[in-house]
Amino acid sequence: MSDWGWVAFAYLVVYGSLGGYVASLVFRIRRARAEADRG
Amino acid sequence: MVIPFGAVALLVIPMAVGIETTLLARIGPGLFWAVVLLFGVLVTQRESGAEGSPQRDLLTLLGVDPAARFAATAIANTILVLVFEVAVGAITIVLYDPDVVGWGWIALVLPLVAAGLAMLGTIAASVTTGLGGRGALAPLLIAPIAIPIMLGAAQATEGLRVGAGILRWVLVLAVVDVLLMLAGVLTARPLEES
Amino acid sequence: MTKRTLEFAAAGLLLTALVVGLTVPPDAVQGDFQRIMYAHVPSAWLAYLAFGITMIGSIAYLVTSKLRWDRLAGASAEVGVVFTGLALATGMIWGKPVWGVWWTWDARLVLTAAMFFVYLAYLALRRGIDGLERRAKRSALFGIVAALQIPIVHFSVVWWRGLHQPPTILRPDDPQIDGPLLFALLMGVFAFTVVYAALVRRRMDLALIEDSLVEASRAGEDVAGAAVTAPSVGAKPR
Repeated sequence: MSDWGWVAFAYLVVYGSLGGYVASLVFRIRRARAEADRG
Repeated sequence: MVIPFGAVALLVIPMAVGIETTLLARIGPGLFWAVVLLFGVLVTQRESGAEGSPQRDLLTLLGVDPAARFAATAIANTILVLVFEVAVGAITIVLYDPDVVGWGWIALVLPLVAAGLAMLGTIAASVTTGLGGRGALAPLLIAPIAIPIMLGAAQATEGLRVGAGILRWVLVLAVVDVLLMLAGVLTARPLEES
Repeated sequence: MTKRTLEFAAAGLLLTALVVGLTVPPDAVQGDFQRIMYAHVPSAWLAYLAFGITMIGSIAYLVTSKLRWDRLAGASAEVGVVFTGLALATGMIWGKPVWGVWWTWDARLVLTAAMFFVYLAYLALRRGIDGLERRAKRSALFGIVAALQIPIVHFSVVWWRGLHQPPTILRPDDPQIDGPLLFALLMGVFAFTVVYAALVRRRMDLALIEDSLVEASRAGEDVAGAAVTAPSVGAKPR
């Protein structure tokens, strides 16, 4: 793999993980709010 | 039943890594300490008679200081881990035929390690009292924090084997033990109350 | 600063850091691989910062008994474990082409890995405990015991690896770094820190909602049999 290939891989992992975590937060907050509104 | 478990681990490992005598002699001491760390703490996690809430309340009513309870439990656990070390140590010597040097220092290192793991185990047990899945949780709580104990022990035995100075590693073990003693005593009452 | 502003700032800074990292000239020795450091070093910095904040939150909870501090401790730990994982991953992705192996027993890597497991243990403990105060107290106490040991873990690992440092020229953080490369690095550190702050705030929001759900379900519990319900002000008993 070329140098830039490794760099791209690294950045994919970093930004992908951060994005994934943000998405999980958004989802969990929505779900918790829905349950709070229900109760 | 933890001693047999540790023994089985020592038996199984050469099946996985190969049985050349030089390899086993080389890795024997290290594996011994790894087994002590990973399996030895299990002996500190058994439910003692004073674990249940009513029993703890009774002890409190009787005026037993939580710090004293910690000390007593820690001492009992130290003895248990020491017994584990001796038993597993004998098995290691038999199966791996390592080059054991410096019995005097080893006699010092074994109880230092036992005390450290015992105190860690006691603290972990009181932090996880009453939790359902305690079985797998306590070892996870203990293992990363116990790294200095294992490093200290393994580097000490390795140092003895090659004739290097091991004072710094014995010091690491001693400092860890003192810190854990402080931690255990200071957290005993708040943990009791939670 | 409102949450929205913080979040926009975080996104903007992250984008900027990304662009800067990709456009500065390559390093004299490491070439383009240096760019991985612009994500690795900030991640590692945040792993330690988040850990520190968790410790501060734990101590503050024990002193004040205010659950907000516990929420901070827990939120920082969760965000921290993400950054610690990223520090490890980027370290490995950098190491494979540069050193030829995914893992070396470099003291820093080992320490980061140990910290990762301490985080996991802390989070597992929190997940396992019922009751907000009990969870707060126990995780705070465990957290502090862990924190006390971390310096010793650090020294023992560094002493252990003392003779085996990789060649200086290929070490992850090159002290000779300067100029635009240093700027890219600092930009990354700054951006990631703001991202951390934004994530922790949101995570604390989530914790507040979840904790209030726990409180609400507890309020509905019978105190002494079916005939008596827990006292509540205003709301009709269930």
